[in-house]
Amino acid sequence: MEKLSFEYPASAKASRKAHVGVVGSGDLEILLEPSDDAKAHVTVLTSVTGFQSTWKAVLDRFFERYQGAARIDIHDFGATPGTVTMRLQQVVEGNK
Amino acid sequence: MSLATTPEIAPRSWANRREGKRRKLAQIEPWMNGKILPGRYIIEALERLLAPGDKVVIESAQKAADFLSRSLAKANPKILHDLHIIIAAISRPDHLAIFEQGIARRVDFSFAGPQSLRVAQMVEDGQMEIGSFHTYVELSARMFVDLIPNAVLVCAQMADREGNLYTGANTEETPAIIEAAAFRDGLVIVQVNQLVDTLPRVDIPAGWVDVIVEADRPFAMEPIQTRDPGEIKELQVLTAMMVIRGIYERHQVISLNHGVGFDTAAVELLLPTYGTQLGLRGKICRNWVLNPQPTLIPAIESGWVESVHSFGNEAGMEQYIAARPDIFFTGRDGSLRSNRVFCQLAGLYAMDLFIGSTLQMDGDANSSTVTRGRIAGFGGAPNLGSDASGRRHSTPAWLSLITSDSPTVRGRKLVVQVVQTFKAGGVPTFVESLDAVEVGKAANLPIAPVMIYGDEISHLVTEEGIAYLYKAEGIEERRAAVSAVAGVTSVGLKATAKRTAELRCKGLVAFPEDLGVRPSEATRSLLSARSMKDLVTWSGGLYQPPARFRSW
Amino acid sequence: MIAPELTEEVLALTKRRSYIELGARDRALALLDPGTFRELLGPFDRVESPWLPMQGIVPQSDDGCVVAKGKVDGQPAVVIALEGKFQGGSIGEVCGMKIATALALAREDNERGKPTRAVLSIESGGVRLQEANLGELVLAEIYAEMVALRKHTPIIALIAGMTGCFGGMSLAAGLASYVVMTPEARLSMNGPEVIEQEAGVDEIDSRDKPFIWSYCGGRQRYGTRLADVLVEDDAEVIAASVRDLFRRGLPAEVRSSQHELFLDRLGALDPNKQWTANELRDVWKDVSHD
Repeated sequence: MEKLSFEYPASAKASRKAHVGVVGSGDLEILLEPSDDAKAHVTVLTSVTGFQSTWKAVLDRFFERYQGAARIDIHDFGATPGTVTMRLQQVVEGNK
Repeated sequence: MSLATTPEIAPRSWANRREGKRRKLAQIEPWMNGKILPGRYIIEALERLLAPGDKVVIESAQKAADFLSRSLAKANPKILHDLHIIIAAISRPDHLAIFEQGIARRVDFSFAGPQSLRVAQMVEDGQMEIGSFHTYVELSARMFVDLIPNAVLVCAQMADREGNLYTGANTEETPAIIEAAAFRDGLVIVQVNQLVDTLPRVDIPAGWVDVIVEADRPFAMEPIQTRDPGEIKELQVLTAMMVIRGIYERHQVISLNHGVGFDTAAVELLLPTYGTQLGLRGKICRNWVLNPQPTLIPAIESGWVESVHSFGNEAGMEQYIAARPDIFFTGRDGSLRSNRVFCQLAGLYAMDLFIGSTLQMDGDANSSTVTRGRIAGFGGAPNLGSDASGRRHSTPAWLSLITSDSPTVRGRKLVVQVVQTFKAGGVPTFVESLDAVEVGKAANLPIAPVMIYGDEISHLVTEEGIAYLYKAEGIEERRAAVSAVAGVTSVGLKATAKRTAELRCKGLVAFPEDLGVRPSEATRSLLSARSMKDLVTWSGGLYQPPARFRSW
Repeated sequence: MIAPELTEEVLALTKRRSYIELGARDRALALLDPGTFRELLGPFDRVESPWLPMQGIVPQSDDGCVVAKGKVDGQPAVVIALEGKFQGGSIGEVCGMKIATALALAREDNERGKPTRAVLSIESGGVRLQEANLGELVLAEIYAEMVALRKHTPIIALIAGMTGCFGGMSLAAGLASYVVMTPEARLSMNGPEVIEQEAGVDEIDSRDKPFIWSYCGGRQRYGTRLADVLVEDDAEVIAASVRDLFRRGLPAEVRSSQHELFLDRLGALDPNKQWTANELRDVWKDVSHD
């Protein structure tokens, strides 16, 4: 298990709390809460070690488009980057 | 001195094969009852009928002549050795045992799937020599040219006392294999599930058959194309939506083949729902080259499908097929008639589109399922996934791929690869260099085992979007388009935002939003059937899933 | 929509919402009257297992258990739904305490004159091995609370699949006032893999799915009266059947008090014979204390 942290500048405010996903095999849950500072703080707790650069690449791309100031907590159980990206898109859409 | 007879030069015999066959059959004659050989003699019979160095076809694709292969594995390697085996799919432990025992040495095949690890090990240990990989129909074709068999070991469902055979729903390539032997004095040895007085229909006439043996149990059979809708994931629903919208609708795809997998099963299940929302029923997906797989049932019941021609059967579909003779190819007896050779031919020349998946792809879009430590082979994919340059008839889809206005231009078959950028376990699908290149070198293969070549692929679909590769002008543009949809793999990280934007403008790359596909709609509830039980309901109770799929 | 020539069964299939496909939170939402759902100790309260991270396992923000207050059929209710996809719905310290405490609070409400009903949507393999002792302890609390609560209000155990209800939670189902199952669900104390491991593949082949469902699937449990209702996998139909059961009120006698009946049923079986699922249903049909 590995814990990773990332930070991104944010120019907008996240509107509300949102939660998606399940910590099932190949899946992940994401909790999103608005943050007070102009940053997005991402914490990743993942069952698979050694993928820091892949997480960074996925998050870098995501935050090119998402500008909300938020605290984002990810509990990951081996999801692929495609699944991670999908869940990130879902949580900012406020979907379940 | 007359030229007429010079004692040192004997006149050439032109009937060696015929003579040889007659001598061999004479050796087992005491055991035979007409063409029927009692099962207890089979091992000895094989030792007498086959000779060291013989080319022997062992039938094994979906169905396998496993009684014959199990028996062959028990032959005495001192009597029978160095056989050259021709086999479509190396799928069973007894196939390997034949090499382990030294009964066989060389193999020409198409697919190794479940045994790919073992095959790689045996090649490395020198127990097995690979002649070549082939695509299915290519292997069948060589049986008439330079891999003409001395003997074929095949399977059929039933035989009558005369020796006529019923191959039924699982006809597959039995007629082709037998033809190659029967008409060039090869030996045709058949295992049957049952001996009966009257066959439901005659698939193969007795005149083509030499030896029939009733097997100890029904021949092995794999429902290789049956997929449980319960395992389809949301990302596969997303790619399926893009395929229907961005490819089938755009190019008016009417005839098609779906390669095995969940990605394509998702497309089938989305036709009655998403496809109907788009108003596409009747306009696309009418004529299919496909096994009778249960995930097609909702589309059939909803009126999308006109016809299906099949390579083989799928277990449990027999009653449904019998109730839908307008859709499937069935005999007068009501059961399916499959034919892998004709089906592969149709897949080459008579189809608008092939779509399938792969394990690995490089930056040029070359794809392969051969990965380190495994020798898997490709089955039908290289054939189905290739453009048939001999084709001359036009369809809207074929014509829609024309990109130049030269006066002698021709159309092109759509060859689509659909993949997720990463597989389970964080393993990237897109790689700088295919494992196949290394594997080819290590195994001393004359060419790298590539499944489908990058320049054959017209469309690449990932969860990120579609790359319309057929539009790419030159290799650099093709590479850029592949990178644009290759996510955060090392290939994908080569994409720049600027270049990707240019490609999107030019229509070489489309993201879901460019196609009007909303990822939030890509949920499992869009599938017309979400479980095997749903498929049974759709079939009106006619589909009977095999035991492994029954969880209710 | 789809072509009009389809049968009624297929049309119904296309309209229904699968309950099995719903996660725990959505299940609780489906069971409660619209607009009444209020979650206690939800994801953002972050009451997670302290034990799993110590063992290198990623926790879930709600520990795989959703507790929601609301109304069922207009009456105050608590719905407890287990998430089968998280660690097999297994019962750990936090998850188990959420269940036990929710039941205790419902009991207290009832004792104070506020009739609060309870539904347990169970997807569980039983005790979480990584929290074994705590799991066992908290199960004992759950059982005690169920025995106390069910005097006031029916407790409905709803088992839908695909995880099923095994181990210690199968005993909780046994203590419920009513058990509702789908054909896809399974209810059994020992899991098939465990039985195969202990007794060998000749005793039970855990990969033989039709056989497994034949002895512990919803249809068989209903046919042998270890489940009270067999319902199709349809969220609306399941919610309606829960409402119907509450309207029935308390059962005349809870299943776990019917000792004589079950002893008679066991007595009716010759242990030297290999019984089939059908035979069991037949012979137990005749053993009744109605």
